[in-house]
Amino acid sequence: MTNSLFDLPFEEPTPEDRGPQGSAPQEPRRVYSVSQLTDRIRALLEERFFEIWVEGEISNCFVAKTGHMYFTLKDTQAQIKAVMFRSAIRYLRFKPQDGLRVVARGRLTVYDPKGEYQIVCEHLEPEGLGARQLAFDQLKELLAREGLFDPRRKRALPALPRKIGVVTSLDGAAVRDIIKVLRRRYANAHIVIRPTRVQGEGAALEIARAMAAIGKVKGVDVVIVGRGGGSIEDLWAFNEEVVARAIAGCPVPTIAAVGHETDVTIADFVADVRAPTPSAAAEIVVARKDDFWARIDRLGHRVETLMQGRLHRIRARIGAIESRPGYAGFATRVAMRGRRADDLSHQLLRAVRGQLGRRERGYQTLQLTLERFDVRRRFGAIRTRLVGVDGRLTSSADRRVHAADARLRGAAARLESLSPLAVLARGYAVCWNEDRTAIIRDAAAVERGDRVHVKLERGELDCAVTSRGSTEPDS
Amino acid sequence: MDSTIKDFEAAITELETIVKKLEEGDLPLETSLQLYERGVQLSRFCHAQLEQAERRIEILNERGGVSPAPANLGAEDESEGRTRR
Repeated sequence: MTNSLFDLPFEEPTPEDRGPQGSAPQEPRRVYSVSQLTDRIRALLEERFFEIWVEGEISNCFVAKTGHMYFTLKDTQAQIKAVMFRSAIRYLRFKPQDGLRVVARGRLTVYDPKGEYQIVCEHLEPEGLGARQLAFDQLKELLAREGLFDPRRKRALPALPRKIGVVTSLDGAAVRDIIKVLRRRYANAHIVIRPTRVQGEGAALEIARAMAAIGKVKGVDVVIVGRGGGSIEDLWAFNEEVVARAIAGCPVPTIAAVGHETDVTIADFVADVRAPTPSAAAEIVVARKDDFWARIDRLGHRVETLMQGRLHRIRARIGAIESRPGYAGFATRVAMRGRRADDLSHQLLRAVRGQLGRRERGYQTLQLTLERFDVRRRFGAIRTRLVGVDGRLTSSADRRVHAADARLRGAAARLESLSPLAVLARGYAVCWNEDRTAIIRDAAAVERGDRVHVKLERGELDCAVTSRGSTEPDS
Repeated sequence: MDSTIKDFEAAITELETIVKKLEEGDLPLETSLQLYERGVQLSRFCHAQLEQAERRIEILNERGGVSPAPANLGAEDESEGRTRR
């Protein structure tokens, strides 16, 4: 019968072989090669410690070029080499680093070239994370159910905050980052800081109180709450319910800025805006002052050019009315017929000239006052913050412009009503006798069977009188 | 400052509306001038608001009191802004 052990490339010592060396001199000595022994040890370890959990602190942690991670797990008494392959690292939800206490799951093996046993980790979790993750998930679900993360709850930040509230620690980098960025973007920003501890026992309650206090400061219309980067434990206060509720209850819009970009806390979900970092929060809270200037100047300039364009168009319109062909032609034709028509045409022309003259003068006045009003100078004045903008420029000039404008508009309206074309356009007609020597104003001037010419807005009618109504004028 | 202007935001919005109205044209001259005047007023208000905020950092303490922040917060160095003082 063949012992399966004889399949191995060396002779397996049998129980009979064991015993104090030399006590059984009659047996042949079994000499292992180092490789053979190592193989044997590995076989034993791999079989015995196939899947184990071990708890310890990470040290000497580094990631090789291959992407595999090597480290040592230790406690106060002992240490063990550990490796984690790239394929397993992918699934980690945290970054292992020296000093971190973890629970590792894996199997033991032996690294032949060095004769070292080590644990090949399949999974790592930070000690205590399990409970925390659970708390995080539960609170998140609770608050989500209450609607605290609802996008419709999110308030818009003020375009230009009067005072910017900051709730953070005075010792951290966050407060300095925020101040630096705000100063750069908006030198005269008014910042009110409510210092608070941001980590450790009781920090959550302190942050909550700070939020409540800053929300009551007069003029504070936006609040940044947060801290710089740290471990999950360091950031934990921002996952506490009391902080979440304080942020939700803040009377003014809030920006949460906790840790680095990759850190996500409950506070981030509740706040009106989530900033990846404290510096980013400062950038979000107020646009660059220069951008504001540019925007306002652009708008102001636009108003100015539009206004000038408007005035140009008015000037053009007056010109167009003056040169309307209908005026001269029609009036001349009227003048050539009969005395009454002549009178009428003179009257018309006088009125038109008079109105045009007045209108022209009105326009000139308007132009003058506008020039004195000097739009450019007004914008210049604003831009350079001349506190005492010349009073003449504002009130009296405005009034003059308005008076001139009113006169101009009045004249224009009267002029339109006097224009013979306008009268025809309203539906009236002019009735001439057959020879076009007189305008028929009285029905008595014609007889049944007479022919008359009726001038309409467009074109003329040749008509025969078929009957004649009352000669009394309509009342 | 001006009781008819609510705040900076409202002022900018109104200014934009005025530009839009003027752009659409066809307004009586008087209305145009009124809009123009209002535009100037709003623009002036916005500029004033930009300069109005005080360059200041304060600490709100436990008792609700407010005091200037310690200089070591790095606040009082670079002044690249357009403050003219």
